[in-house]
Amino acid sequence: MARQHAAPTYRLWILRVITVIIFATLIGQLARLQFMQGLGFQKEAVVNRIRVVREKAPRGVIYDQDGRILARNTAAYAITIIPAELPDDPDYEISQKKRLALYQDIYDIIHEKLAANATPVAEPTPTPDPKEIHLILDVSQPPEPTLLTVEEMDKLVSERELGSSFQPVIVAENLPREVALQVQEEAYRLPGVQLQLMNRREYPSGLYTSHIIGYMGPIPREQEKEYAQKGYAPDAWVGWSDLEYQYEEELHGKPGVRVIEVDVKGQEKKVVDEPTEPVPGHNLILSLDLELQKIMFDALVAGINPKRSNSAAAVAVDPRTGYVLGMVSLPTYDNNIFADGVTTEEYKTISEAPGFPLLDHAISGIYPPGSTFKLVTAAAGLEEKVVTRRTILNAPGVIYLPNRNFPDDPDLAQPFVCWIHKQGGEHGDINITAAIAESCDIFFYKVGGGFPPTDFEGLGVRTLADYARRFGFGELSGIDLPGENQGLVPDPTWKRKAKGERWVTGDTYNMAIGQGDVLATPLQVTMMTAAVANDGILYQPQVVAAITDSENHLIKFNHPIIRREIPVKSKNLDIVREGMWMVVNWEYGTAKNVALPDVEVAGKTGTAEFFDPEIGRDLAGNLPSHAWFTAFAPYDNPEIAITVFVYNGGEGSFVAAPIAREILRGYFDIKARDAAAGNKSLLDRLEEIAP
Amino acid sequence: MSRQNWRQFDWLLLAAIVILSIFGIIMINSAVQGDPELAGFPKRQAFYLAVGLALLFITAAFDYHLLRTLTIPFYIFVLAMLALVGTLGQSIFGAQSWINFFGLFPIQPSELAKVALALALGSYLAANRERIGDLRVVLTGLIIIAPIFALVALQPDLGTAIVLAVEAAAIFFVAGLPLRYILTALGLAALSTPLVWSMLAEHQRTRILIFIDPTANPDAYFNVKQALVGVGSGGLLGKGYGQGTQSQLHFLRVRHTDFIFSVIAEELGFVGATLMLLILFFIIWRLWRIAGRSQDDFGKLLVTGLTAVILFQTLVVVGMNMGLVPVTGLPLPFVSYGGNAMLSLMLFIGLAQSVAMRRG
Repeated sequence: MARQHAAPTYRLWILRVITVIIFATLIGQLARLQFMQGLGFQKEAVVNRIRVVREKAPRGVIYDQDGRILARNTAAYAITIIPAELPDDPDYEISQKKRLALYQDIYDIIHEKLAANATPVAEPTPTPDPKEIHLILDVSQPPEPTLLTVEEMDKLVSERELGSSFQPVIVAENLPREVALQVQEEAYRLPGVQLQLMNRREYPSGLYTSHIIGYMGPIPREQEKEYAQKGYAPDAWVGWSDLEYQYEEELHGKPGVRVIEVDVKGQEKKVVDEPTEPVPGHNLILSLDLELQKIMFDALVAGINPKRSNSAAAVAVDPRTGYVLGMVSLPTYDNNIFADGVTTEEYKTISEAPGFPLLDHAISGIYPPGSTFKLVTAAAGLEEKVVTRRTILNAPGVIYLPNRNFPDDPDLAQPFVCWIHKQGGEHGDINITAAIAESCDIFFYKVGGGFPPTDFEGLGVRTLADYARRFGFGELSGIDLPGENQGLVPDPTWKRKAKGERWVTGDTYNMAIGQGDVLATPLQVTMMTAAVANDGILYQPQVVAAITDSENHLIKFNHPIIRREIPVKSKNLDIVREGMWMVVNWEYGTAKNVALPDVEVAGKTGTAEFFDPEIGRDLAGNLPSHAWFTAFAPYDNPEIAITVFVYNGGEGSFVAAPIAREILRGYFDIKARDAAAGNKSLLDRLEEIAP
Repeated sequence: MSRQNWRQFDWLLLAAIVILSIFGIIMINSAVQGDPELAGFPKRQAFYLAVGLALLFITAAFDYHLLRTLTIPFYIFVLAMLALVGTLGQSIFGAQSWINFFGLFPIQPSELAKVALALALGSYLAANRERIGDLRVVLTGLIIIAPIFALVALQPDLGTAIVLAVEAAAIFFVAGLPLRYILTALGLAALSTPLVWSMLAEHQRTRILIFIDPTANPDAYFNVKQALVGVGSGGLLGKGYGQGTQSQLHFLRVRHTDFIFSVIAEELGFVGATLMLLILFFIIWRLWRIAGRSQDDFGKLLVTGLTAVILFQTLVVVGMNMGLVPVTGLPLPFVSYGGNAMLSLMLFIGLAQSVAMRRG
């Protein structure tokens, strides 16, 4: 073949130049990525493969003083899908078809197992008395298993897949253990499906102790940073109320951390760092006695008329230590309903139900203390020598305070009546112990505010307010529970600021009998009674007596904390106590119905009028009243101080006192039984080894 | 017919190819670690290399002028194969491009299409070199390649179709296509863009859209992103052979084929990847040299077409690993795993050697 006419060779040179340009570009880009942007990509490569896996630490257990479990951890089973491990295909339709088939399989299997394991229809629970229903929100059913439909699974998975395709998506929750294990056996043919064990908090004593123990929930959004700094995983739960909240740091423990290298499917390839083991949270041992708590609860529920009272509370403390032995607030709720999380809607329903079930009325509710406050007036009057044991004051059914501007015009004088006046009676000449026993209002009006027409000088508002504060009114008791209300001790300064009015003697009168603007929590009243009982020591109430580690080695013993020694001489408190003894044990006492056969009880009734626009006045024009009773026992050597409060309960002696009797009887029965059996409580044993 | 001369055989070119292919097998070995399904791939690639080398020598020994006489039967054979793929081929990765012949190994007719196109167009343009300015010659050239191009594009195999277009363009260019035609072609290409767009398959459009706006499809962007992270995190010397976290932990997909460059850059760093690119550059440079020294226009145009294919595929594959070019499923010449690619490349080189050995 003849040599052909050669094509122009310069064009090949152009291609050579293009070749050089292409390779220069590629090597240039390589240098740009590896040197100029190298650090960023190196970081991304690390982020890709390194995972910090937190292993949840078991939360601390909460026990009562005898070691009964009030809060513990149980396992809940959930079936999850890991989107990244689902069947995949470049062709969307094929992959979608495979996935839908898988979802259907998952649904069918769980559905079938659930049906097979369905518990036989439970025995009908006894219908609670409809009158009581609004005081107790009992929903302690085991949580219902949930299972998503195929459509819901598809929607949820495709939503989650884009963000974090290795994060498990829950498709079925609260499965019974047997069902969960059966599904797991089938998991080999269900790619991407995993069984997950989720820690659940369980409260065996449920609604009996919900206001003490509280409940947990996910980390609130506004506190995410704070908890993250403390090493919490973003999906961790934290205490939301009561002890679960107050002792969060003790209970939480420390999650274990493992830094692992994962492959693209999120599967662990190796452990990068020395892993740290989870440290279980500490246990709390309460001074609370669950048995007594239940007695208090039952007595309160039985003793009130739910048609009248939308709330009630009872508190029992040990006056020798300030330890809380029992504390009940009605209405209550079952804190187990929070174990699986509640919706905003559900939360609203519970928190806004009549009487506000989530509120602990024993520490958060403030009410006029009524005649129980006379103990303060009596102690102050004796200590300030306004009266002595032998002082006799005249107590007609009604006294008149002359008008400040027209002292001589009897028509303008302001009447102050005694409760007995309404029943057509009067107390007549009376001394302080009888005045306490009969709850004479006139006597204490005079002790508090004096009686201008007779030149009898009373304590005056400032002195009375000072004593009230010394007995713990108007300040937080310092109990180790959140949400405490400090109440109110009024004085002229407060009145000027709050109402823009001058303080008058009538205000002092009202205050002296615990009416007017005095407001106190049932706990404050109890601590006052305890201080009277223990000869003048105001303790800081404590619910948690000891903290132990997960193996119940004592870590910390919460020794009794004295807030102050009240400056009232022992002989004066003797007189007050004597008056309280007479309330229960004297012929004319207001609460003779509280007396116990074997134990001498001392107490004080209270019938505190209040104004509530919804209730208004009765036909005779009387205001409604809260029923109070506060007491201690035994009289000689007090070891329990209690207060019973019933909102709109009416007479303290008729409503609150019988409840208090039940509680005291229960307490001493338990004590006698334990003494006979030689039982020592866990608290006693811990106290012995406490440093 | 010129005398065959083994002294003219480009031994340096062969050495570069063998070195690069062995390097490829070593990197495939790293890429498939921990994946039992792919465990046999390095050995199979070594087998393909051995078969390929044999094919290279046989082809080189063959006078390429003899092939010229077989152009028409070969061309028809390839067309038939392509048509067969359209009806019988298995659908793999969204494109029907494989025929499993006799159950031995699948044959990709589109690889043979590259050879057929170079033979047909090279042969025709070489014969009509003097009349290259004549519109009829240009149109005839286009008509010759049209069926083969259409069948590949309809598979649809966008990657190979573009490779064929570039190959044809290079042959036209070196054959001396006047500047006015080149400018007209560029103008027509620009005008026809919307039409081409409407003809593309869904996954092809997605790939281009992702290249323009990477965040549009997070799932598809994942592959490109991981490749970039692999390349970028390699640094000067790399993380060490078999130590690339991106590849060994499988963040990188199709590591042994499409994204093998990312494995190399991650594990062997800038030094290793640049060295590999320089070997490729050397191979292409030697091929241009063979084209330039060809005794006739047919040889020159044949080698030009095949070299353009190798150059273009290198640009596309390496570029896509570094985010410069949209993702197309093309192999990196001599390095990526794949029997078909290896065998057809060896056929190319054999043809080039055949040209080299018969220059005047």
